[in-house]
Amino acid sequence: MNHMQMKPLSGKEVNYIADSVANEDMLIKMCAAAAAVSTNSQLGQAITEHMLVHEHHMHTLIDALKQHQQLAPTQAQ
Amino acid sequence: MNLPSSTEQLPENDLLKIILADLRRTVREYTTATTESSCPSIRRTFAELTDSTLRLQGDLYMLLEQNKVYSAPASASRQEIDKKIQEAEQSHQKVHQFVQQRSAQNNPYLHPSNVSYHQTNVQQQNPRYI
Repeated sequence: MNHMQMKPLSGKEVNYIADSVANEDMLIKMCAAAAAVSTNSQLGQAITEHMLVHEHHMHTLIDALKQHQQLAPTQAQ
Repeated sequence: MNLPSSTEQLPENDLLKIILADLRRTVREYTTATTESSCPSIRRTFAELTDSTLRLQGDLYMLLEQNKVYSAPASASRQEIDKKIQEAEQSHQKVHQFVQQRSAQNNPYLHPSNVSYHQTNVQQQNPRYI
């Protein structure tokens, strides 16, 4: 990530990231549930691949938080 | 009628429709997050997540349509499309005139266009003219 383009996260951005992590978490669980009951191999395979993409999304969001950790002020502004 | 108990799982098609609805909602939320990000790298991250989620939503919708879980929407009639084209071209002509008038007011020395708005005479069906 280009550190010249990074600013400290606002409270709003942190909340959007946290909400997005929750959304991806739910989508992963839904995909896992659908894959478990699937009787259609095409759909089952596709939904399993989707689940992996959602897991990747979740990693991306958590990494974004970690990369901005050092920029955060130690006291509330 | 036997209602599913809490220990029974939802049918596959119901779960897939819920996932599809959730993907639509998530795309909207990612789009909002993108527009409200002040950090450029976070904005780029949300934009990429929006794009990736849109692809998943499109992919799942097509699969559900192919497997007859969803039926394709009815096509718009030729008359409806023709009417909308006419309305859109009228709007375009008006806004074109509006822009020309404003440009002339802002710069009186600017030479006004001597070509009035006109419809294209290029045949859309013939690729040789594109």
